[in-house]
Parts: sequence; structure tokens; C-alpha cells
Amino acid sequence: MTPLKTLHILNKPPDHSRYRLCLCAIGPEDGLLLTENGVLAVTWLADINSERCFALAPDLEARGLSPQISSEQIVSFEDMVDMAATAEHVISW
Amino acid sequence: MSSSLPEQTQTPAPAGVFTLVITGAPYSSQAPQTALGFARAALAANKRIDRIFLYGDGVHLASALSVPPSDELNLSEAWAAFLAENSIAGVACIASALRRGLVNDSEMQRYGLPGSNLRAPFEIAGLGEWVDSAASGSRVIYFHKGG
Amino acid sequence: MRALIIIDQPPYGSWEGREALDMALSLAAFDQPVALLFCGAGVNWLRKGQDAGKVQQKSIERNLAAAPIFGVEALLADAGACDQYGLAEADLLDDVCITDFGTELTGGFDHVAFAG
Repeated sequence: MTPLKTLHILNKPPDHSRYRLCLCAIGPEDGLLLTENGVLAVTWLADINSERCFALAPDLEARGLSPQISSEQIVSFEDMVDMAATAEHVISW
Repeated sequence: MSSSLPEQTQTPAPAGVFTLVITGAPYSSQAPQTALGFARAALAANKRIDRIFLYGDGVHLASALSVPPSDELNLSEAWAAFLAENSIAGVACIASALRRGLVNDSEMQRYGLPGSNLRAPFEIAGLGEWVDSAASGSRVIYFHKGG
Repeated sequence: MRALIIIDQPPYGSWEGREALDMALSLAAFDQPVALLFCGAGVNWLRKGQDAGKVQQKSIERNLAAAPIFGVEALLADAGACDQYGLAEADLLDDVCITDFGTELTGGFDHVAFAG
């Protein structure tokens, strides 16, 4: 995958106002990483360009949501560190 | 790239220095846990963490007085152990801390308070510490309360 | 480094906006370029005629008015949020610049942060 321009880390569920704000700020070269209750968005993925959308494994597993998302989109904390280190910018929503 | 020139492969990787800012409080948000998972993975990947900065409600993480039930993770203790083991500075913002009743011995004396409750190795300092991280090119990652 | 501090929480119900302003003022005090963006319910910080004393809080109006003097480059307000909360340009504090929140705006800054 080409390096991300901006990595957006989103830990809010889809009905949170900042979730909508985040989606407005995602550009074509950006990536989205769902963490904590942000992973609830995997049931709403129609919103999101799925190729560049990822979700943190422990948060998915804790909420029983791993089967709802393709395995290539599931990332570990190690992957999160790598994405956060290599993206040009990081925004935590 | 496998075809890199030898001198490039010998050059150290660009400084992977992180600063983690935690603004979500323990037990009312997942922020301190997510930040700890990130911090452990960062060190495992040979990245450096220059400091942890606690801001807003995040300062509660530095309280020595939180006593969760024995079958729950003591987040303050877990973070303090991680910081001590890895010699990473843990800084609570002074304005956020004083507002929320988190004080060290010198603030206790200055304000004539009946006690202090800052857990070692956390320290209290100003927002300048955060500015220093941001301005020095550290990759600053924020851990806010979720929803 | 150019920083953008975003305030999306309304005034008085939480300390987040106040603490976001402190972040912006600290950056400015250390000569770091910074702008403040009000969006969502956060635009309510910018309404003229607030009387914070009625809820035993300090007015932030004077602090915001002084922000440009202390080196905060811009006070920005999202146009859509202003519409939503019935804020016309004349209702806003002086020196507020109305803009559109989105990729283009956030992409122009190296460091984008919320206070909480």
C-alpha cells in the first residue's frame, strides 16, 4: 500500500458528531483506522472507502465484530504503530 | 526497497519518535488502555517515546489514590510501571491537574492542601512540554475519550 | 509546523473548549503558527453577547478577542455549523473568518488536534 497522506484514527461510534466530522475530512489518499467504539462502524461500512479503512483487532474481537470485516482490514497495535509512523500526518478524532 | 544502496541501508531509520497525549480519563474512557497498547507496540518496533503527556481529564491517570476492584486492571499502576521500566517521562499538565485535584508535594505546600496524590514517576509541568514535543518533530498521537 | 486546534464542543457544558484555547495560546506563546477552528456545536463559543457569569464561569470572549494579539493566526468557523446554529456573520465575535470544514482545510495543517 502507498503511504497514507493522513491517517485518521476514529474511536467514536457512527452516531457521534465527531464521526461525521471525521468522514468529511478524509481525502482520497488518506486512511481510516477504527479503534475502540469506532469499530462499530464496520456494520456501516457503506460510508467508507473500504480499501483504506482498517479496524483494530482487539477492539473488534472484544465486541464480537471480527466476522463483519475482511481479514485484510484487521490490524494489530504493531500495524497501528507502523501506520502512525509512516503517514505524513495523523489526526485522532 | 531491497535494491537500496549500501550507504542507505546503513543509515539509521528516520527517528521514529512518538509523543502520546492522553486526554481521556481511566474508567470513564478506554483512552489509557488504547494508549498503553500502542506504547508497548511502539517500543517493540524499536520506536522511541519521548514523553506521555496527560491533558484534561487524562490527568486522572496519574492519581496514586485510585483503587479499582482487585479483578480490574489498575491503569494508573500499569502506566506507572511501564514508564519506570522504560525510563519514559510521564507529564501531567499543571493547569488540568490542579483543577481536577491532582497535586504533587510542592503544589500541596503552595496551596496548603491536606495531601498530595501524584503517582511516581509522573511529574507535573506546563503545556510547554507538549509544545516542545510538537515543535521538535515528534509524531504526536492523541488518545481521547471515545463515545 | 502549522497547527490547527479544533473546538467542536459547545461552551460551559464542558472544559474542553477552554482547554483547547489554552493549547492554541501555548503554541502561539512559543512562536508556533496556530489557528483555531470552531465547528459543530463549538461555533456557539463565537456568539456575541454571552454572559458566562450567570453560570459562574469566566467569559472566554475576551480571551478569544485577544487570541490574535497573542499570535493565534486565525479564528475560523465552519459555515455549515454557523447556519445550523443560526449564526450569521453579524452575530459572531470580531475577526472570525467563516470557512468550510473538510479535507482541504485540515490538509493545510501539519498538526491537527482536539483538546479531548
